[in-house]
Amino acid sequence: MEHAAVIDFYRYPPIGEEDWQYAFQTAKVRSLETTMLSRGTLVDMANAEDFTAALDLLGGEDYAEMQTAATLGDVENVLLAKRAAVRNLFVDLMIDKDLVELLRARHDFANMRLAIRRVVTDRPVGLDYSDFGSVPAAQFEEIFKQENYSLFPYYLQEAVEEGVLAYYAEKDVRQIDYAIDKYYAKYKVEKASEKGSVFLLSLFRTQIDLTNIRTMLRLKMADRLDKDFFLAGGYVDCERFVHGLDVGYEALATLFYATPYHDVIEGGVAYITSEQSFLRLERLCEEHVMGFLRTTRSLAAGPQPIIAYLIMKEHEIRSVRMVLTCKKNGLDTRLILDRLGE
Amino acid sequence: MLENVNATRMELLQLRKRVALASRGHRLLSQKRDEISRRLVQIARQIGPLRQRVEKELLETTRRFMMARATMEPEDMTAAMDVPTKKFSLAISFASIMSVRVPQIAKEIAGDIVCYGYGATSGELDVALRALERAFDSLIELAEKEKQAQLLAIELQTTRRRVNVLEHVVIPDIQETIKYIYSKLGEAERDNISRLMKITDIIRGT
Repeated sequence: MEHAAVIDFYRYPPIGEEDWQYAFQTAKVRSLETTMLSRGTLVDMANAEDFTAALDLLGGEDYAEMQTAATLGDVENVLLAKRAAVRNLFVDLMIDKDLVELLRARHDFANMRLAIRRVVTDRPVGLDYSDFGSVPAAQFEEIFKQENYSLFPYYLQEAVEEGVLAYYAEKDVRQIDYAIDKYYAKYKVEKASEKGSVFLLSLFRTQIDLTNIRTMLRLKMADRLDKDFFLAGGYVDCERFVHGLDVGYEALATLFYATPYHDVIEGGVAYITSEQSFLRLERLCEEHVMGFLRTTRSLAAGPQPIIAYLIMKEHEIRSVRMVLTCKKNGLDTRLILDRLGE
Repeated sequence: MLENVNATRMELLQLRKRVALASRGHRLLSQKRDEISRRLVQIARQIGPLRQRVEKELLETTRRFMMARATMEPEDMTAAMDVPTKKFSLAISFASIMSVRVPQIAKEIAGDIVCYGYGATSGELDVALRALERAFDSLIELAEKEKQAQLLAIELQTTRRRVNVLEHVVIPDIQETIKYIYSKLGEAERDNISRLMKITDIIRGT
């Protein structure tokens, strides 16, 4: 089903109705949200004197066990364990397992992308895949060895075909990523629509728009004028992004003025032109998604707050990793704050 | 130090030839030393700013790469960097600077350094990789210059040692030996003259 590129909201798209099946789960998530790190804590960590001081600030928080971490490897292990725990909790809390499968598909597609890249370049398929997809990581090697793709769910079977065909059209491994990204975008929008999940549809379409914005600016910076990289299915028409490639940086904010991403573009472009860096753009994109997820707080019950909690917690884990990595390596506080926001 | 030589005219002639040869060698080696020093200073002057530039570029690349890695999921990073599309090869030829074989590196780069799609990767990773790509040129130039400087420095050290040995050991020793042979020969001659005078006296007396 094709979704028209119509923006019928001001800043954030609709999040759907309440679902009282999720009353207990929502309450649980609400209590867990209170243990999440505040922006102030992250900013304090960024402003901390060094890595140890930044770790000390996590002492009273959910990440207290990291205080004994001496190396970034230890930090990474704790963060990966936290992420796994959050994902498992999400699976436990969700009643509608189809929505779980839909959110897990991201990992399946990422695994698929890696496996195809390895297969077409005659590398061992290996076992180092994400374990959070619907297809167990261990199965990937076996399926690719036997070339029995019928063991994959239907959407992955089609993705394999798309990816392999795209590679052989130009013998370029990047085409695999482009093809799978497009297929995944199409799949998630269609599936969310099929499931009747207004929230997921809004989330996915917003994510597609933000990916397109980042792609457009990355292509502009690399002076590439390829017009075929944009993902369909977002609220903003692909034509607008293609047009964005042809205009100067100064005209981009005007071009996107009538979209909810005007602030993202304006702030991101200003930073790109002055610092030659995507830090602020990426931060603004994440803040836009987080802002949208925060609108689920108005719901008393439903799958929306649970999905929002998963995504916000994953974002928090990434933020902690980013601050600690930067602190450990002595990066400038200003840079951390540019990425984190003040 | 006196050489263990026979104080003969033949030896004296040979030593004179040796000292002339040593002096010529000394002069040539001095010239070689000066030229190597000049070239070395020239290269060292280029290396300083080049190294600073490379270090700055690499630091910038590392900083951006670190930031990209920290903000991306580890699996996405592995997938993005697993299969590179950039092919990089180096051809090394040799040139001669004052008979020192120094390497000259020519690089051949094909393909785009950005080897992934845009969906699951950070823009900062693009910036880091492009900065690394730019740093390659300076890095290769620096490697070439530093190797040249290292080889020239080794040659300079050897040449300087040779010049010093000739100047302070070989030539003075030979000259001393020549002086010794001169004095020996002079003494032998005086000895001979006085013997002849004595014989003449004896003959006249009879």
